[in-house]
Amino acid sequence: MRTVRPLTGTALAVAAAGLAAAGPAAAPAYGAADGLEVYPATVAPGDEVTVNTAACGGNAPVTGDAAAVGAGSFTLAPSEHEEDAVGHFDVPPSAQPGTYEIVARCSDGGRITADLVVSLAAGARPERPQESVPSAPATPDVPKGSVKTGVGGALGPDPARTAAGVAALAVAAAGGTWLLHRRARGDGI
Amino acid sequence: MPRPGNTVIASVTVVALCSGGWLLGGAHTHAPPQPSPAQSGTDAGRERPAAHALPPSPPDRIRIPSIGVDAPLTGLRLTPQGSLDAPPADRPRLAGWYEAGTSPGERGTAIVAGHVDNADGPAVFYRLGAVERGATIEVDRRDGTVAVFAVHAVEVYDRRHFPDGKVYGAAPRPELRVITCGGGYAKGIGYRGNVVVFARLTGSR
Repeated sequence: MRTVRPLTGTALAVAAAGLAAAGPAAAPAYGAADGLEVYPATVAPGDEVTVNTAACGGNAPVTGDAAAVGAGSFTLAPSEHEEDAVGHFDVPPSAQPGTYEIVARCSDGGRITADLVVSLAAGARPERPQESVPSAPATPDVPKGSVKTGVGGALGPDPARTAAGVAALAVAAAGGTWLLHRRARGDGI
Repeated sequence: MPRPGNTVIASVTVVALCSGGWLLGGAHTHAPPQPSPAQSGTDAGRERPAAHALPPSPPDRIRIPSIGVDAPLTGLRLTPQGSLDAPPADRPRLAGWYEAGTSPGERGTAIVAGHVDNADGPAVFYRLGAVERGATIEVDRRDGTVAVFAVHAVEVYDRRHFPDGKVYGAAPRPELRVITCGGGYAKGIGYRGNVVVFARLTGSR
């Protein structure tokens, strides 16, 4: 635990904004436009944190600094969302509970911060929504869109097919060698 | 030395050479199975009696015996964009469930997702597209119960026209969705969509 510090009023506000904006429906309604958003705002040691900001504008990468929580620096890369830069870091499994300052530096020198709360597993899970009511419209907690669950890595050559091919070529090589050997001995082909 | 011996060896050599070249050459690839249109849901009108809902309890494992899946479950959250995050790409045998939502067996729509593959090859839900209607899915829950679901549809959706309401929407009975990537693959773009298995609670033990 390196820089645990008490929550100041400002930090509280930032954390609250981060929490609010971290909801599934995300940014627009809460306008995190000129701040730094960390999601989830409350995590357990070992969790991955996503950080994004639109404060730097433009397309230049933003440098993130999570050294306070022991995660070092990371890069926020411009995303397909307008002017929004997004990056990730992992909270070390050894991180102690507390509040840590996450810093992002724009390429033009601007510096923005947000607070990340590390708590032991219990408090780190998102709150359960009320039980869904039949035929009620989808609550904001419902995911949207498709899930990125593959990279096409299975689309390479089939290992079984490759093995069969290698085996067949080995047979061919053995057969060829045998024939050449006989020919050299004058057995005639 | 009898000539037939040479002939046989020569033939075998030629055949082996050709088949070896054919097996290794070309762009032979294998893609994950995709559901046929026959697996699409059409029984919306004739509801089978669903089992009584179970109390909330986090799930620990998911089993789909017909495709040989028996995998641990981790908690999943939403990305900042609001889509469901996937389990870590470096844990291909791990599936996940949306832990802020409905737990499997509870009334409502529980969501499970897992990778079809990663950079090293097939992952936990590689064969999800081969699941057929009527197949059984079991979920081990932390309260000791096993929630048993029956598949009532298997669909493929393009990610540009993903039917959020149909997949994630609230349900008046215990429902389960199992999601992975699918719907064709394009270099540079990735998988074009998701395979979604729709299942309904039919019992527990």
